[in-house]
Amino acid sequence: MDQPRIGVYVCACGTNIAKVVDCDAVVRAAEGLPGVAVATTYKYMCSTPGQEMIVADIEEKKLDRVVVASCSPRMHELTFRKAVKKASMNQYYLQMANIREHCSWVHGDGVEATQKAIGLVRAAVKRVAFHEPLESRMVAMCPNTLVLGGGIAGLTAALELADAGYQVYLVEKADHLGGNLARVDLTAPHLDSARDLLRERIHRVMGHPHVEPFLGAEVQSLEGYVGNFTATVAVPGGNGAGPAAAEGDDGPTDGGGATRSPRTLEVGSVIVATGYREFDASRITHFGYGKLPNVITSFEFERMVREGRIETVEGRQPQYVAILHCVGSRSQEFHAYCSRVCCMTALKYAHELKSAVPGCYVSDVYIDMHAFGKGCEDFYRRSSEVKTLFLMYGKNDYPVIRKAEPGDDCGMLIEVSEQLSGELIEIPADLVILMVGMEAREDSAEVARLVGISQDKDGWFIESHPKLDPVATTTEGVFIAGTCAAPKDIPDSVAQARAAAARILGKIARGSIEVDAVFAEIDEEACSGCRICNELCPYSAIEYKADEKRSRVISALCKACGACVAACPSGAIRARHFTDEQIFAEIVGVLA
Amino acid sequence: MATRVNPKLIDDLEQYGAEDVSKCYHCGNCSAACPFSQGSRIFPRKSMRHLQLGLEKRLEGDLEPWLCYYCGECSDECPREAEPGETMMSLRRWLTSRYDFTGISRLFYRSWKAELAAVLLVALLTAIGFLLLGFLGGDIRIYDGPGAFLPSHVVHWFDWAMAGVLVILLSINCVRMWWFTLGREGRESGTHVPLREYIARAYLLPFHFITQARYSRCERKRPWLVHLVLMLSYLTMLVLIMFFLESMQSGPEIDWRVHAFGYAAAVGLVATTAYAMWGRAKRAEAQYRHSHESDWIFLILLFVVAGTGVLQHILHRADLEVAANIAYVVHLMGVVPMLVLEVPFSKWAHLAYRPLAMYFAELQLRAVPSRAPAETARPAATS
Ligand SMILES: Cc1cc2nc3c(=O)[nH]c(=O)nc-3n(C[C@H](O)[C@H](O)[C@H](O)COP(=O)(O)OP(=O)(O)OC[C@H]3O[C@@H](n4cnc5c(N)ncnc54)[C@H](O)[C@@H]3O)c2cc1C
Ligand code: SF4
Ligand code: SF4
Ligand code: SF4
Ligand code: SF4
Repeated sequence: MDQPRIGVYVCACGTNIAKVVDCDAVVRAAEGLPGVAVATTYKYMCSTPGQEMIVADIEEKKLDRVVVASCSPRMHELTFRKAVKKASMNQYYLQMANIREHCSWVHGDGVEATQKAIGLVRAAVKRVAFHEPLESRMVAMCPNTLVLGGGIAGLTAALELADAGYQVYLVEKADHLGGNLARVDLTAPHLDSARDLLRERIHRVMGHPHVEPFLGAEVQSLEGYVGNFTATVAVPGGNGAGPAAAEGDDGPTDGGGATRSPRTLEVGSVIVATGYREFDASRITHFGYGKLPNVITSFEFERMVREGRIETVEGRQPQYVAILHCVGSRSQEFHAYCSRVCCMTALKYAHELKSAVPGCYVSDVYIDMHAFGKGCEDFYRRSSEVKTLFLMYGKNDYPVIRKAEPGDDCGMLIEVSEQLSGELIEIPADLVILMVGMEAREDSAEVARLVGISQDKDGWFIESHPKLDPVATTTEGVFIAGTCAAPKDIPDSVAQARAAAARILGKIARGSIEVDAVFAEIDEEACSGCRICNELCPYSAIEYKADEKRSRVISALCKACGACVAACPSGAIRARHFTDEQIFAEIVGVLA
Repeated sequence: MATRVNPKLIDDLEQYGAEDVSKCYHCGNCSAACPFSQGSRIFPRKSMRHLQLGLEKRLEGDLEPWLCYYCGECSDECPREAEPGETMMSLRRWLTSRYDFTGISRLFYRSWKAELAAVLLVALLTAIGFLLLGFLGGDIRIYDGPGAFLPSHVVHWFDWAMAGVLVILLSINCVRMWWFTLGREGRESGTHVPLREYIARAYLLPFHFITQARYSRCERKRPWLVHLVLMLSYLTMLVLIMFFLESMQSGPEIDWRVHAFGYAAAVGLVATTAYAMWGRAKRAEAQYRHSHESDWIFLILLFVVAGTGVLQHILHRADLEVAANIAYVVHLMGVVPMLVLEVPFSKWAHLAYRPLAMYFAELQLRAVPSRAPAETARPAATS
């Protein structure tokens, strides 16, 4: 092999890398490595000037390999691949050395971190010499989409795609559409009706020529890859578009069709919009939920408002109402995160109460008031103007609710160590509303496994990048929208749904999609037909050709995990871009 | 023990003028802006909070409202337009009604019609009383000396009797104020103020009363000046009436030793009350932006009293004795309700409460634990 001409680009990542790693020392070390024609450092390699520098060097200095020492390849490999491609270099001639996540972010000692960075760069330089030019493949993109969940997010995404003229299969577990929003009365902060928001959407979905809704249905399996998925859906009675297709009045009930016959659907993309469930308030004992009859959850209050009857179990109008925030949220014991919508929902209740029960006193007991959304601060202000009494309790210092004494003019008393006054106080209450938070649905792990996406520690689905790629997932072709990814309000859920639809429409518009050229190959001459790899492949990407007694990798399904490569007793399997020479060269480089 | 919240108190305070309290979200800007908020006395935010929560006992025990001079800095800085300055003003009204044991003050603040009716009634009774006195014992054509329509020694005697009643009423209220702010508060927090401190700090009372020194620390000096002039004029007039009424009323020649003071005080009173009325009508300054009905009743009374006082003097010097006597009766119809109603039950009570509050505030700082630990109680025998 001819001596390659390698360009090494060390990124300072602002100060992210440079504050620990001595980038100039890394450049000097790289300059001394065999085959390195250029080595340099720059503040932000991923910026346009950074990329242009690589392109110019490839063209002017006749480079044929590029090493970028920067962040994780998960972050910017595609960026730099595109850059080298621009200079007519094969994109697989690029190798990245992760000196941020694997180095500067995890080490404090500058000297040792710099040594490690040099080692990682050396490994990349050694490896890249053995890279081969690979061509990624194009596969057809099926324009149909499977939407999981018929809440506001799922409905919006489905309509967006269907209006563009593409087929959508909308699978809803419950026997009605609308999701949790169907249980809500007015919506914060503009006090428009949830029913109005949903009605038109549900109506259109049910009558849309391009939407096939399945109610009380469940996806049983999803196979294939982006552009070419096959889903099996269990449908009650075999037909989804039943008559029970209206907005429901109660919580999501699992559809109960007796006979379930599966339908097989061909789709190119999947949107997961399976939403959330509410926190179970009875898990917190101080609040007496389940024991004190007039302690209710926000959803129970929504129902009261929808029915137009705000009263205690004794049938009286409450004179004092207390609203308790962060039930199950922002606590060490339950969920550490903020559920994001309950603060504004609480303010909405204050307004609803003041207009429905004139003369009633509303106490709003919060930890902090989170009023960050558009129009929300103003809503908060207006809630003060209608004389809502705001009180602040300490995180993890729960208020305690107890029954009042016979002589009191209220049914219950809430003891709070109130932060804004520094006093231990008692709030009178006839009705207590617990602002229950959102949590991941009980079956979210199952859904995650089914569509091949991951969950964070709280069970929410993980996006590809929290800031730059919030609706894609690490599984190409599978998108997430709405509250299944994290608590959010209606505007954010809708925005995500539309974003996911736009991403899919972009793929459909291109007609075909590029599939990574990295996959495993079986040398049929060497394969003994032992079939060990067949069972091992987690993606069922290996088929056995009985007539030839050989195994074969279906390249489009292979994710290049390498399990089969390591397991094959005949050494017949080779992973493209992860060949033995490449890996050994890398090891030598690290250890040198 | 937890303190019970009373969400209804804020409705009650509305009648005393506090309308925007619920808007406060406790950012603390107001307390940072207030020139008087220091050390352990952080206000007005804290008062806003006590009020929102309806902690009545705390509020009764708070001296902070009296330490505020309504410079309005806080209201200017408030991002929520919660008008903390006006809240402090309303709290002063509310506290006045709390200190007053008769309940009359509460009635007046909550209903200006009741206050006005009371003023008119007292004025009417005054008129009847003095007209009877005049027509039975004197001659309407004689202003002073023997046979005068309203002989000064009788009026003088009446003044002293009225003053006695007022002092008793106001003293009872002052004792109640002491009880709320020092007595009861101390008992609950297990502290008391040693008697020697009461004596040692007693000078603060006349000091603050006469100099209004605290007020002068406000950024804008004019309100303090206006207030000082008004207060000194009033005080001068009071001294003249209580001790020199005979020479005040004698004439027609001018007794400069007395009248010089009288003229100065009269000019001071008329000018400052006119200025305040103009300010309130125009909402010219922070302290004039919001006006409670009781503020107007007070100002108008004072203006009428000062005006008719000057008028009778001029008429007397102009030898228009009948007119002077009529003006005198009208004057008394203003003076009597002003003193009988305003001093113990309404705005004028602050002339006692403010200096007292400053005195008490100083004493609060010097409170000691009621049960002193054994070792400090007994000084070491040998040394
Ligand atoms: C009490 C309360 C009041 C609120 N008020 C407001 C407000 O005033 N303003 C505001 O902006 N937001 C409000 N929200 C938030 C609002 O409810 C959510 O933002 C919105 O409902 C999220 O919609 P979604 O589609 O993501 O999820 P969801 O409404 O939860 O819908 C998810 C749907 O997916 C279905 N599903 C779940 N799993 C599966 C599966 N495996 N297969 C098929 N289908 C499945 C469910 O049955 C459900 O129909 C409120 C929330 C609460 C708790
Ligand atoms: S939105 Fe408000 S009530 Fe809900 S968890 Fe966050 S802080 Fe608590
Ligand atoms: S590399 Fe992994 S995914 Fe690909 S065929 Fe082998 S085992 Fe399956
Ligand atoms: S500035 Fe206004 S909102 Fe802030 S604490 Fe003071 S009164 Fe309340
Ligand atoms: S009006 Fe002035 S003195 Fe009174 S609380 Fe406000 S800033 Fe302080």
